[in-house]
Amino acid sequence: MSQSKEIAISKSSVPKIAIIALAAVFALGLFVVGFDQGHLLAPVFGEQAFDQMWLHELTHDMRHAAGFPCH
Amino acid sequence: MKTSLFIAIILVSGAIAGTAHGLVNLVLVEPFLDSAIGIENQNLFDSGEEQATPEFWANYYSYRAWQKGGEILAGAILGTAMGALFGIVYSLSKNMLPGKNAVKKALFLALVMWATLYVIPFAKYPANPPTVGDPETIILRQTLYLAFIAISGLGALGFYQVYKRVNKKTIAFAGYAGLMVAAFIAMPANPDPVNIDSGLLAGFRATSIIGMSSFWGVVALVLGTLWQKLGLDRISHQKYQ
Repeated sequence: MSQSKEIAISKSSVPKIAIIALAAVFALGLFVVGFDQGHLLAPVFGEQAFDQMWLHELTHDMRHAAGFPCH
Repeated sequence: MKTSLFIAIILVSGAIAGTAHGLVNLVLVEPFLDSAIGIENQNLFDSGEEQATPEFWANYYSYRAWQKGGEILAGAILGTAMGALFGIVYSLSKNMLPGKNAVKKALFLALVMWATLYVIPFAKYPANPPTVGDPETIILRQTLYLAFIAISGLGALGFYQVYKRVNKKTIAFAGYAGLMVAAFIAMPANPDPVNIDSGLLAGFRATSIIGMSSFWGVVALVLGTLWQKLGLDRISHQKYQ
């Protein structure tokens, strides 16, 4: 009896907005470190972002060490 | 539970664990990265593509400083991202996890996520140091790696639903194992040849595993401890019941 009540409370206790915000942080952070090849800074710096790949270079060592394909 | 507090605790846990991951990498992985990049440089000199001029070395040390400095920051960013995922799964599943307190529950979940999202994908697509990898195949390799992680993670989630519904629990484990064996066979191998000293490769991969494992251990300890100390379950009970 008490066990089923506990589960019901848990389901209602996680705010949906928090889940959405955390999912967005997850997707963005994963892209920055694991996949960006200049895309994120391209809206500001244009083609130069793809040539220089500042974020890629900044995350380069972690990208290799965490197992992501790098170059 | 206050939403902002809930989010902050999860993000801080991930950032702390990611920073620890970056520090571990700086000590353990960097020497292997330096050796691999040294080989890369030698190949450039041998092929005549570059010359070992003072200008080349000035450039080299400048971007290596940027890359090494970025290890900690990138660790914090990746840690925050993976910590966010860990926090989502933990908050939604904590009542079903084994363990008498938040720390033990978090450690159990971290073990499962470490295995499904890191170790099993690593077995198919292991980490490689610089000098390995053709830039022409980067999109393919990224897609394969991400797809394999998604298959493993979503497969684990799916078979957990099976686990909850069947009496014979081994069916769920066998189902997940079958799915991953099928994925191993069906998905293409890394297309790039790995022509590098085996000692360097083994050392790089071993230290890379230690680094990622440290992340999963620390994120579980920090999130579990904060969750417990701040009594988030009790707060959520009062606020949302």
